[in-house]
Amino acid sequence: MLVLALETSTAQSGVALANDAGVLAAATLGAQRGRAHAEFLAPAIAFCLARAGAGIPDLTAVAVGLGPGLYTGMRVGIATAATLAAARGLPAVGIASLDLLAFPVRHARRMVCATVDARRGELFWAFYRPSPGGVQQVTEHRVGPVGKLAGELSALGEDVLCVGDGAVAHRAALESAGADVGAGATDHPTAQALAELALPRLRRGEGGPPGSLRPVYLRRPDARINPPAPILVTVPPGGGEGNR
Amino acid sequence: MLVLGIETSCDETAVAVVQDGVTIRSNVIGSQIEQHRPYGGVVPEIAARAHLELLVPVLDRALAGAGVGYPDLDGVAVTVGPGLVGALLVGVAAAKSLALACDVPLIGVNHLEGHVCATQLASGSLPVPMAALIVSGGHTSLVLLRADGRLQTLGATIDDAAGEAFDKVARVLGLPYPGGPEIDRLAREGDPAAIAFPRALLHDGSWDFSLSGLKSAVVRELRRRQAAGVATWAPDVAASFQEALVEVQVAKTVDAARATGVDTVTVVGGVAANSRLRAAMAAACEAAGLRLLLPPAALCTDNGAMIAAAGHNRLVAGERTALDVAADPNLGLAPLPLPPLERSRT
Ligand SMILES: [Zn+2]
Repeated sequence: MLVLALETSTAQSGVALANDAGVLAAATLGAQRGRAHAEFLAPAIAFCLARAGAGIPDLTAVAVGLGPGLYTGMRVGIATAATLAAARGLPAVGIASLDLLAFPVRHARRMVCATVDARRGELFWAFYRPSPGGVQQVTEHRVGPVGKLAGELSALGEDVLCVGDGAVAHRAALESAGADVGAGATDHPTAQALAELALPRLRRGEGGPPGSLRPVYLRRPDARINPPAPILVTVPPGGGEGNR
Repeated sequence: MLVLGIETSCDETAVAVVQDGVTIRSNVIGSQIEQHRPYGGVVPEIAARAHLELLVPVLDRALAGAGVGYPDLDGVAVTVGPGLVGALLVGVAAAKSLALACDVPLIGVNHLEGHVCATQLASGSLPVPMAALIVSGGHTSLVLLRADGRLQTLGATIDDAAGEAFDKVARVLGLPYPGGPEIDRLAREGDPAAIAFPRALLHDGSWDFSLSGLKSAVVRELRRRQAAGVATWAPDVAASFQEALVEVQVAKTVDAARATGVDTVTVVGGVAANSRLRAAMAAACEAAGLRLLLPPAALCTDNGAMIAAAGHNRLVAGERTALDVAADPNLGLAPLPLPPLERSRT
């Protein structure tokens, strides 16, 4: 089993190449370098393969972070993974990026709230509870203003660790709701966590066709319906749906 | 040589396989018209989402239609600009991934150069020099393909694209999106001389176009008639609007061909399917002694075959695009490689 893992759904992009023994090579483009996922990703794949002394024909599966997060970054990752899987006939696994944030803090022994900055003063989030060997998602993925999450945290009345760049961006509001906000290393979902979570699923035969990789948007596209201008014209019978 | 072409710059998810730059083995277009119809125009976020959904099914169908497998490909060409950045990125990411997966060269193509190469697919060669009118919902440009392979923009719209003007006037008339075919059909029952709409920039000496004023003039005239209680026959509005638009486009194209000394003219882009534009351009070119190349409508609208043809020319010339290339929504034109042009003429 040699899996290529791609995670580009936040401001940080990552590629990891892993087998059953662990991560063989990884490349990360830090958030401070801007959102250059599209320029970074393909060369980073080539770099990781070369670093591990492997080639494209050695790959046996592809994994990708599905978001929620930056739509453009998510689409670059999923388009890359889906095309590679289609071209090589490989099974593909998609995992929500919030799961990837919660997984590395599975030893926290308390409730975890994974967050991603959704811009416009909003966050994407979900709650997780530590479980044997990983974390168990206990709420659905949500999007909303920081006040809504703060309300959920207060209502929970439980010790919660918040991770992700959404929590970092709204640290004060979440801390005053009684939550702890994790430090630096837990800010972004990583390709390494993705590879670790994907491998057991692939071993269980849970990989699917490339078309099964569906992004997690959580928001409808911004689009306004333009009403036709109220001008009276006569149209011939059967010709269009004019304002007769 | 088999080149796969990917085009996702606007609202068509298109993939084609082209052999030797001229033979179309497959040309698959996943249309998003239904998704944009409620909004009366292309919504960038909806387009980007739809491209990702359609990507793998369209890719699969293009390969199956060509009767080839991924290992048979010799190169991957993709539109890198101009266009909607979120839409372009889906195609560019897919093309890079495919180039890696199949270990073949990647070649980035300018969308307008792709449109010009539709004539290469239709005629079996790319005639140089040639003047090309590129008219669609996204662009209205007059370009010159010089004998040395340089593509030079002679003029372009300073505001709306022609297809946009069609959509906006169609909306005013209560016609569905996309407006081009609707106006074309309605205009056949109307009098093109019924209303004298302005011919913007017709005599300004440039080869630029302006179309937002024409749309405003249509709205103004309809409001005036409504206020005066004058009944308006929609086909007359459609025909008069279309005539004003077509007259300027034809006059400027023929003038540009004469001024630059070329003897061949082509019209490409979605609006090149307009029946009045085709007829008027044919008449004007005949009167001026110009040869007119009108590729079939399926090659005029956005498609992957034109991108594969343009990519073929550049690949044969030894060009390669690095895997870190960025999509560029405002990409400018670069010279076409000359050797494949010469080769394709024989
Ligand atoms: Zn176009």
